[in-house]
Amino acid sequence: MSAEMVTITVDDKEITAPAGSYLLPVCLENDIYIPNLCYVEGMEKPPASCRLCLVEIEGVKGPQVSCRSEIFAGMVVKTNSEEILKLRQIAFRLLVSTNDGSCRTCISNRSCELQQIAKFLKQPLKTKRLRHIDRDYPELIDDHPYLVYEPKKCLLCGRCVHVCSTIEKGYKLSFAKRGMDTIVSFFGSELDPASVDCQDCFACTEVCPVGSLSSKEKWKAFIAGLDKK
Amino acid sequence: MKTEKSPKEHLKAHAESAASVVAALKDSPLPVIYVGAATCGLAAGALETIAGFEEALKDNGIEAEIRKVGCLGHCYAEPLVIIQNPGFPSLLYQKIGAGEAGILVRSFLKDGSDPCYEYLIGALEADENFPTLMDYPRYLYENRVVMEHCGLIDPKEVDHYLAVGGYESLAAGLEKGGAWVLDEVKAANLRGRGGAGFPAGKKWEIARGVEASSKMVICNGDEGDPGAYMDRTLLESNPHQVLEGLALAALAIGADRALLYIRAEYPLAVKIMEAAIIQAEAKNLLGENILGSDFSLAVTVFQGSGAFVCGEETALIESLSGRRGMPKVRPPYPAVSGFAELPTIINNVKTLSTVPSIIKNGAEWFHGIGTAESPGTAIFSVVGEVEYPGLVEVPMGVTLEHLVVDVCGGIKNGKELKAVQIGGPSGGCLPASLMETEIDFDSLKSVGAMMGSGGLVVMNEDTCMVEVARYFTDFTQGESCGKCTFCRIGTRHLREILQSITVGEGEMSDLDDLAEISEAVVAGSLCSLGKTAPNPVITTLRFFRDEYVAHIEEKRCPARMCRTLTAFYIDLEACARGCDACVACCPTEAIFTTSNRKKAIDQEKCVKCGECVYACPPEYDAVRRVSPPELIPDQGVEPLPVKENEEGDA
Amino acid sequence: MLDRILATLDESEKAAIDEEELAVLKAVADELLSVPQESLQLLPALQMIQTKHGYLPRLALRMVAEHLAVTIGNVYGIATFYNQFRFNPPGRNPIKVCLGTACHVKGGEIILENFERRLGIKENETSEDREYSLERVACIGCCALAPAVVVGEKVEAYVTPSKVEGIITEIEVRKEMAAREQEKNED
Ligand SMILES: Cc1cc2nc3c(=O)[nH]c(=O)nc-3n(C[C@H](O)[C@H](O)[C@H](O)COP(=O)(O)O)c2cc1C
Ligand code: SF4
Ligand code: SF4
Ligand code: SF4
Ligand code: SF4
Ligand code: FES
Ligand code: FES
Ligand code: FES
Repeated sequence: MSAEMVTITVDDKEITAPAGSYLLPVCLENDIYIPNLCYVEGMEKPPASCRLCLVEIEGVKGPQVSCRSEIFAGMVVKTNSEEILKLRQIAFRLLVSTNDGSCRTCISNRSCELQQIAKFLKQPLKTKRLRHIDRDYPELIDDHPYLVYEPKKCLLCGRCVHVCSTIEKGYKLSFAKRGMDTIVSFFGSELDPASVDCQDCFACTEVCPVGSLSSKEKWKAFIAGLDKK
Repeated sequence: MKTEKSPKEHLKAHAESAASVVAALKDSPLPVIYVGAATCGLAAGALETIAGFEEALKDNGIEAEIRKVGCLGHCYAEPLVIIQNPGFPSLLYQKIGAGEAGILVRSFLKDGSDPCYEYLIGALEADENFPTLMDYPRYLYENRVVMEHCGLIDPKEVDHYLAVGGYESLAAGLEKGGAWVLDEVKAANLRGRGGAGFPAGKKWEIARGVEASSKMVICNGDEGDPGAYMDRTLLESNPHQVLEGLALAALAIGADRALLYIRAEYPLAVKIMEAAIIQAEAKNLLGENILGSDFSLAVTVFQGSGAFVCGEETALIESLSGRRGMPKVRPPYPAVSGFAELPTIINNVKTLSTVPSIIKNGAEWFHGIGTAESPGTAIFSVVGEVEYPGLVEVPMGVTLEHLVVDVCGGIKNGKELKAVQIGGPSGGCLPASLMETEIDFDSLKSVGAMMGSGGLVVMNEDTCMVEVARYFTDFTQGESCGKCTFCRIGTRHLREILQSITVGEGEMSDLDDLAEISEAVVAGSLCSLGKTAPNPVITTLRFFRDEYVAHIEEKRCPARMCRTLTAFYIDLEACARGCDACVACCPTEAIFTTSNRKKAIDQEKCVKCGECVYACPPEYDAVRRVSPPELIPDQGVEPLPVKENEEGDA
Repeated sequence: MLDRILATLDESEKAAIDEEELAVLKAVADELLSVPQESLQLLPALQMIQTKHGYLPRLALRMVAEHLAVTIGNVYGIATFYNQFRFNPPGRNPIKVCLGTACHVKGGEIILENFERRLGIKENETSEDREYSLERVACIGCCALAPAVVVGEKVEAYVTPSKVEGIITEIEVRKEMAAREQEKNED
């Protein structure tokens, strides 16, 4: 089943893509960068939770998430209007206002997507505009056999939970708690970690955009390297 | 079983037997005592009242029947009792505790002479010897369509509903078919009472148009607004009306399954609904081949576990499905793909409760009530500083002024109205100058508020608007599901900023931040929780900016409500020597005796609870409340030296 | 099922389960038998345990996971999402202070603070002797009687700081009387 190809306009650039496909990946393939955090390639129904990928679509009221907007013939999209830039900046500031911002000692330093987005948005990684919100989490949760989790770095993008759900044998990772207290579980669940069904495939650590979720082994080696310095 | 007899004929048999059951009760040679025993009545002590009646009846050797009924909506007057004493009209009494119950039994039921006018509100039907309810503005101005029978019929008896014409609309719907029901509701332009005001007919039409093996109707009884309870009242007081509405909705879209989603905090509502379903099934008003037709509907109750966000349609479905109640992107809309990916209609309790009357009286009749764009009635729980708080049903389109002043008796204690908060956590605060605003979906929206849940809090000059904004923001940020960035973190920042303003640590730039973050949270959030959460902030900033400024620049709370910015002191001029009414009331023993045997407050110990203000006898009225605290005058207070023997003696 | 789960615990974990909790767990094992084994039953199963026992013991979560064949992470994720669930046993006198809109405006926070001060526990805590637990609730539907507090099953209306004192004293007196009564009977 091949969808009909249609032409759309994104920031004055014409793009041809299958009707009904999501806008974000199409833009990314065509070298139009839109910041994004929660989208994972091939997701059937993206959660649209990070809200960084907002764009304006002509004829549609209010900003729309591009990861969940389906392409139609004649679609006209703006990814860089003033309102969109402003919203993105605020979303970014909100995200970093809850993070511990310890890039120098982070395992993802220099490969971190948050750093890349900061650069793109020309925003500092530590916001001065907003006060810092310290989330009531431990610095490190390491009672998992193969993984370590640094919750204060977690953006709650949900990529890890999503990829883990696509791996056989049911959900191993899930969210727990709610609102600002939301955390990726089973870490910090105070429950017996021995019953983890983890396949140690490390799919989750791979998709983590930041240095929040890592392989225990790699993390240990990294810390050992830091200590030496 | 499908039969030849028509639904109406089937219903007629039920209705006739119900009528005779109810008539037997109405014409009972024995007195019948109806006690309002919905959650609210129970809270006000209805069980003690019932015990009081039982005891007094026994002591006086009188036979009478006691019936628990639902809620009349007159919360200020609870416990409410209706006495049907042969030879008298049915009389409504207010504030009947166990003691009053005893008096009523002795004076009215035993001697039959004294109907105890001191507790009487009035007669339910017109009578020359008694004032009737219509003599009261509250009854006169209200227009009870949905709440018509609340508090007057026994919610545990399907016969009581049948006797007032219950399920006639369903029978009519079954005869004329689902498409007809849909057309009527569409023509009536019944808009959703759950907050957004989306036309029910439109939603139903979408679901009806989808081909599916099974469809579902859900009654949304999650009622998460922390200050509203009319949905619960309807579930508890007239459960069959909800069920009839639910069945009609199912008929209209062709659903075979229905579900009531009721929050677990409402155990009585759950119990009453479950009992009502069983009774309705026993009479073939629900279940297989309803009233002999080929329409079947299985109805179940599901309990929500207490998460405000689960009132949102997609989150509700997630939680039904055994997952975390996090909203999902729409489309797909539940009407197309909802529970188990089947077409699913979700409607509010009030919306569904309105449907039977529309089917019975027709769309035209419905348009005769309310406004052109918002026909019908609106139900509010009016609380706060009004004379007669409670549940009120008025036609859409009346003004706020009319609702607050005429229907609910105006502001208590002769104070000034400052604002009304309308629509709960997603609504807004409107100032006294906007009291001419009409109550309907669109007018409220145009001034920045919302019909929302229908919670309405009336506030006087003693309520701080910054604090009210902080309260609602605190609530929504705590109830945010945490999925999306703007709502999860943005509402937290709003709360933090508001919090710091209420304790005098705000800066003028905070006001810009509040506005900017609010705007972003509205524009960027995934679901309506986030999209509406900043409304209390936005409206208070718009209408009460001076109060924010006073908090920030003068460290002063104009309403003297924010405790950090307020202080209490005792005016030595007014304080009576030797009186110590206030001393015992203070939870922190902050009040001490001065050298001239008057009282003073130790500011270090005072927690600013305000209790001493009430404890001080009105003839002295010596406790003062000031903001900022620096306004406490220097009265040269010296504590009375402690005599050595004083302590040991007592 | 319970025995099998208990067998996986190490000694210190086993020691942490007192008799009361063990009794609850045994009851839960029985009660779960009546719950159909499908994942849709997750919330109803947790609700049943919460309503019957006042809290969800840690191991009960595992029992639910096993019974419904879902992962424990899933159960935990859900149990911690909703306000209804508690993870510690409630006090014998659970006190719920209403902080719904009407009660808030009428000083509900002050009442909560007074309970905290009087009982020496914070919101969401249980006193050490398990006599009291304290939490906040949203509107209990008696806004006209605000501020309201629910003590056990009973709603107290128009609560003031001095009434807080009265409520606690009443409970203490009742306890005292019951203790004396018992002493008398034993003699
Ligand atoms: C956060 C949030 C909470 C809601 N809570 C309720 C609720 O408690 N009851 C309700 O009927 N609708 C609630 N709604 C609205 C529902 O999503 C939905 O619009 C409504 O149930 C539809 O019914 P109606 O068209 O009859 O109003 C809520 C919406 C949001 C965003
Ligand atoms: S390593 Fe694989 S199985 Fe284990 S948690 Fe990560 S994604 Fe899931
Ligand atoms: S651990 Fe990483 S992938 Fe998982 S939610 Fe947090 S930031 Fe996203
Ligand atoms: S707006 Fe708030 S409640 Fe709605 S999905 Fe986003 S975080 Fe959840
Ligand atoms: S306000 Fe409260 S704490 Fe302060 S003196 Fe009066 S009674 Fe005591
Ligand atoms: S990538 Fe679209 S919302 Fe996160
Ligand atoms: S009279 Fe029942 S809610 Fe008030
Ligand atoms: S707000 Fe407390 S009872 Fe309604």
